[in-house]
Amino acid sequence: MTTESLIWLLPLPPLLSFFLIILFTNRNRALSHTIGVGAAALAWLGSMIVFLRAAFGEGGFHHLGEHPFHSAIAWLPVGETTFNIGIQIDPLSAATLFFVGWTIFMIFLYSVGYQNFGQPEGDHDKKGLPPHGATVTDEHGHKHTVLSIEPNYSRFFAFLSLFAFGMYVLVVSDNLLTLFVGWEIMGLCSYLLIGFWFAKPSARAAAIKAFMTTRIGDVFMLLGLAYLYSQTGSLSYRVIFSPEVLEHLAHDPAVGGFLGLTTASLIGILFFMGTIGKSAQFPLHVWLPDAMEGPTPVSAMIHAATMVSAGVYMVIRIFPILSAGAEHGLTPAMSTLAVIGSFSALFAATIAIAQNDIKRVLAYSTISQLGYMIAALGIGAYVAAAFHLITHAFFKALLFLGSGSIIHGMEHGILHTGDHHMDPQDMMNMGGLRRSMPITFWTFLIGGLALSGFPFVTAGFWSKDEIFADAFANGHYTVLIVLALTAFLTAFYTMRQIMLAFAGEPRTKEAEHAHETPWTMTVPLMILAVFAIAAGWVGIPNDFLGLNLGEINWIHGVSYTLVLSEFELEGITFSFIPLTISLAVALGGLVVGGVMYRDFKAGQTDPVKKMLGGFHAVLQNKYYFDEFYHATFVRFSQWVSETFSFQWIDRGIIDGFLHTLARVAFFLGGVFRDRFELPVISGGADWVASVFQWFGQTFRTIQSGRVQQYMILVLVNVIAFGFLFYYLVEVVGR
Amino acid sequence: MVPLSWYLIVAAGLFCLGLYGVLSRKNMVAILMSVELMLNAININLIAFWRYQDPARIVGQAFAIMVFAVSAAEVAVGLALVISLYRRRKIVIAENVDLMKW
Amino acid sequence: MDFIQDHLLTLILFSPTFVAFVMVFFPSNEDNLNRWAAFVGSLIPLVFSLVLWFNFDRTQTGFQFEEQAVWYSAINSSYHLGVDGISLPMVLLTTLLTPLSILASFGIKDRVKSYMILFLFLETGMLGVFVALDLLIFFVFYEVGLVPMYFLINQWGSEKGERELWGGMKVSSRLYASFKFMIYTMGASLGLLLAIQMIGAVSGTFDLIELYQSWTALEGTLFGLSIGQVKAIAFWAFAIAFAVKVPVWPFHTWLPDAHTEAPTAGSMILAGVLLKLGAYGFIRLVIPLYPGEAKYYASALAFLAMMAIIFGAFASYGQTDFKRLVAYSSVNHMGFVVLGIAAAAWVASGPNVQDGIIAMNGAVLQMFNHGLSAAGMFFLVGVIYDRTHTRNLNDFGGLFPLVPVYGGILIFTSMASLGLPGLNGFVSEFLVVRGSWPVFTLFTALSMIGLLFTGAYILKGIKQTLHGPLNEKWIGQLSEINSRELWVIAPLMVLMLWLGIWPAWLLGVINQAVTALFG
Repeated sequence: MTTESLIWLLPLPPLLSFFLIILFTNRNRALSHTIGVGAAALAWLGSMIVFLRAAFGEGGFHHLGEHPFHSAIAWLPVGETTFNIGIQIDPLSAATLFFVGWTIFMIFLYSVGYQNFGQPEGDHDKKGLPPHGATVTDEHGHKHTVLSIEPNYSRFFAFLSLFAFGMYVLVVSDNLLTLFVGWEIMGLCSYLLIGFWFAKPSARAAAIKAFMTTRIGDVFMLLGLAYLYSQTGSLSYRVIFSPEVLEHLAHDPAVGGFLGLTTASLIGILFFMGTIGKSAQFPLHVWLPDAMEGPTPVSAMIHAATMVSAGVYMVIRIFPILSAGAEHGLTPAMSTLAVIGSFSALFAATIAIAQNDIKRVLAYSTISQLGYMIAALGIGAYVAAAFHLITHAFFKALLFLGSGSIIHGMEHGILHTGDHHMDPQDMMNMGGLRRSMPITFWTFLIGGLALSGFPFVTAGFWSKDEIFADAFANGHYTVLIVLALTAFLTAFYTMRQIMLAFAGEPRTKEAEHAHETPWTMTVPLMILAVFAIAAGWVGIPNDFLGLNLGEINWIHGVSYTLVLSEFELEGITFSFIPLTISLAVALGGLVVGGVMYRDFKAGQTDPVKKMLGGFHAVLQNKYYFDEFYHATFVRFSQWVSETFSFQWIDRGIIDGFLHTLARVAFFLGGVFRDRFELPVISGGADWVASVFQWFGQTFRTIQSGRVQQYMILVLVNVIAFGFLFYYLVEVVGR
Repeated sequence: MVPLSWYLIVAAGLFCLGLYGVLSRKNMVAILMSVELMLNAININLIAFWRYQDPARIVGQAFAIMVFAVSAAEVAVGLALVISLYRRRKIVIAENVDLMKW
Repeated sequence: MDFIQDHLLTLILFSPTFVAFVMVFFPSNEDNLNRWAAFVGSLIPLVFSLVLWFNFDRTQTGFQFEEQAVWYSAINSSYHLGVDGISLPMVLLTTLLTPLSILASFGIKDRVKSYMILFLFLETGMLGVFVALDLLIFFVFYEVGLVPMYFLINQWGSEKGERELWGGMKVSSRLYASFKFMIYTMGASLGLLLAIQMIGAVSGTFDLIELYQSWTALEGTLFGLSIGQVKAIAFWAFAIAFAVKVPVWPFHTWLPDAHTEAPTAGSMILAGVLLKLGAYGFIRLVIPLYPGEAKYYASALAFLAMMAIIFGAFASYGQTDFKRLVAYSSVNHMGFVVLGIAAAAWVASGPNVQDGIIAMNGAVLQMFNHGLSAAGMFFLVGVIYDRTHTRNLNDFGGLFPLVPVYGGILIFTSMASLGLPGLNGFVSEFLVVRGSWPVFTLFTALSMIGLLFTGAYILKGIKQTLHGPLNEKWIGQLSEINSRELWVIAPLMVLMLWLGIWPAWLLGVINQAVTALFG
């Protein structure tokens, strides 16, 4: 099979899996998950083949950058021309395909264990609610409460398959429209999966919040699509990133001279709005923490490793447009990225240190890390951003799956004690899990260190270091300082999390009875842990520590994707300053976190709370953004909808006007009836009738019914007329 | 030759006789007979006028024959009505037949 | 075969009427006989229009399957029919939705025969508008469709509900709605009739194809006014008639009432086809006959379209009545059709004609798509209403576990209505936005508020019915969607998906005609 046809087929297995499960096999759990996991495995296999052919084919990434795998067909006829869609794999999408294939496959495998396949059905489980456990009786007659299988087990795999389809479509697209299609399909899946336990009002609200918040970004992105399409007549990467088009976009003022931007910048900003929504950047970050309402941690992982990465992927993709016209420093669009990205990074990191929910900490760290990438793009370090995107996908997937494993272990403990009011996600209830859950502990530790940027071994170190180096070399010191501060906080809250969960003694009975999770969950953890370390090695700078290491920095091949962009990175030479900063903040944060939470006891006050005092509450409540948005936008739009649009405008003004018209018509009708119709028309007709009636009444007496009377009358008349005629003829006539 | 006026006088007398009968008799059969008298008076007139005024054409005779036909039809219908009335209501008196009264 | 080929449009047009006349002689108490007769009868035009669809020459522009016969020679009006790439999808939509609506109304128990006969008459009325190539014929069919619909709402509409008029005077909702529908649309088309008469009197013909040439080229003075003024007046007469029908904000308030009170199948047809008559009128008559005026007033039209998009979405979000929520969504979606038409009118035959073609393609495709998704949504609301006898969203909640299949279908259809990429609505909305962005940048940008709230109201509908804690009173009350109902919705779903994945099969036909329109 040619590589092109293989790429066309990549998204197909998950899509087929979705339809098969939904339409046919949803009653059979084993078959459903076999289909789902099988489809993910097929897609994974295909991705790996494509990736290998791309990376190690003729001439490697350099050659691929100039001659990507590409194939397109006409999709929409528009006027005399057609709109084409197709597939394209260039270095960037090949690298993305690599981590997407792996992480999606891991999610599927992990889900089998996480949704308790093989366990009995729950005693009181209802569809749309998380499983509550089942009672089983063993051969000795003892009753045990064990985990029960998810009631909507098959459906879960169907949604996951659809999600995988969306992600693959996004990656293999050769144009922004089908990218958008995949983007929105994932949005739908995100809605369905966050709201998977739809009977919980909180999950339902979170699902809607996620969908609506990202949709704010999406409508801007749609405008961006329309704008770009109308300017260039195409959305295909090959056309829109060609030098002539970029030249045109960079020098054309934006429509209506909007803020003095160039067309390229305005389009870039419109697209970036989509990313703000999808990648949960400030100010649309509010949905991501709430998205943790979904089944832990699988949808959480979607919202950390894959889907939210799509936002960053898209920005890297359109980087030539963002940077068009950047000969004289950063373009306005890039500055926007730098500001929003670095602010989000720091902002989310500060919130993360005050959260106690294990998943929420990770959610905020996701926002923060995505901010990192956006900021890196803003200062032009697109290779570093792509690098961090890949490493982050692996270690964040690992962390989320690890947290899911922890929660699963805690639920085990809860079933043991029977205290269902215990929150299995609250880190304050954990402690000492390293002994009961060793695999989870070690893999989580690796992930955590990678997130913190633990030097030299972990993937996160290399990618963060590259961002620092770029920021330093290009003189963006503000960004550098903000990101360094963020890195410190990141290391701190990661260590806090690891310490609270695994170190010390168990703080609750549930934590004591926690239990390691089945192999379907631990195997993905171990695989991802390998990548959380090894994925960084492909990006070691060629001149690290001033040594000449040869061409080892393979990730720079991604830059061949963007060879057509006018934006040239300054040649970065190695410097010890960013490396020192990187080492200092990572190790510093880890040490501070480790020291503060080394032996945290049950009932103790959180050291962070002690340290921050009143500000802690602000952080814990996420700077009150939810409350603020609710009080302003949500309430306002409800008022506009229910009262203003419907009651006032439609029912009040428009219908009121119509009713007034009707009333006037009624009134006029009444006037005509009373003043004209009744007296003149009706009265006149009645008068004529009554005249005839009177006539009849009067003359009916001669109708005696006697023949002879009639004859006499005839005789009289004949005589009378005879005289009359005689008179007329003889007297008057002469 | 007998002058025309003689015929006319006879006819007028006969007509008045018939008219008197129609208006004064109570019996419907008698009324019918009186009508016949009136018609025959008219026939006399028709024939007389033809003979004296325009003997070249047969208009008067034709008219007279028409009148015969009409009177025969009239008597047939009239008698039938009378008999029918008699059979149903046992009356032959014209005054009592006031079905058409208001 | 030749006869069928030559008279295909007449056959499509009058076969429902024929079936209806035959049904007059059926016994009125045999409900099932009447139902099946109407259903099978309505398949006849569907089969014919499939024949039409497959025999339609896609490479050719202009009207095909033309038929012309003397009708009213004294005023030069003839029975002239024909289809092109714009009307063909509409004919297909009408003949498809009618059998589905009839199948959907098998649950009607009251005066089944009259109901079915009215429905078939309604189909003829709608089809006539789409195939007519003569202004007078057009108008006749345009008005004929109102009558059966009036009776359907008035007689078979929802039985509950009252509407307060003024001074405490109350009338039943369906009476109110049917009157509002009838009088509003009739009143608005009075001007249309006058303008058509005037065109006929001035041009000496009612034939559209001749008028396309002669009317636009007309110069001089008329009735003591300059031709420009006369045309402007006639333009507004046309525009208002169709704007009410579409409906364009602020002429839309009849729509939520009529849709809400109509029986389920009536709402399906109302939203699915009747609204398209207005938009079709714009495309077929207003733009070709008044290119200058249409361009001059295009921004006003675009403004109204934007208001429809925004306030339709807001008003929809503000509803607690599920059916009214869906009804308002029609205002929102038809706004995109009008926006596309306005953009096309603005750039018509100018240098940026490509934008106009894209916008118009989008508008026509949106008409078809909205026909599918709105009919589907109304049907699904009807399904749940049949079982629960309430439309109040607050009475539902958490029904998903009770009706999983129905729930899946509802989510699917809602997403199509929301414009999720991969389903039909997205393609047309994207094309409209793409086409109108360079023309009416600000209006298009502001319309995005409406698009955002499209999401809000769709999710509100799902949230209140399927999701959340289960409302216990429906356990045992609410049964799963049955197979007859599945047969109604399945064709719509297949089309929604198919159009979302491969829109070219329909858009190719539309594009051909639209390109010719601006050529």
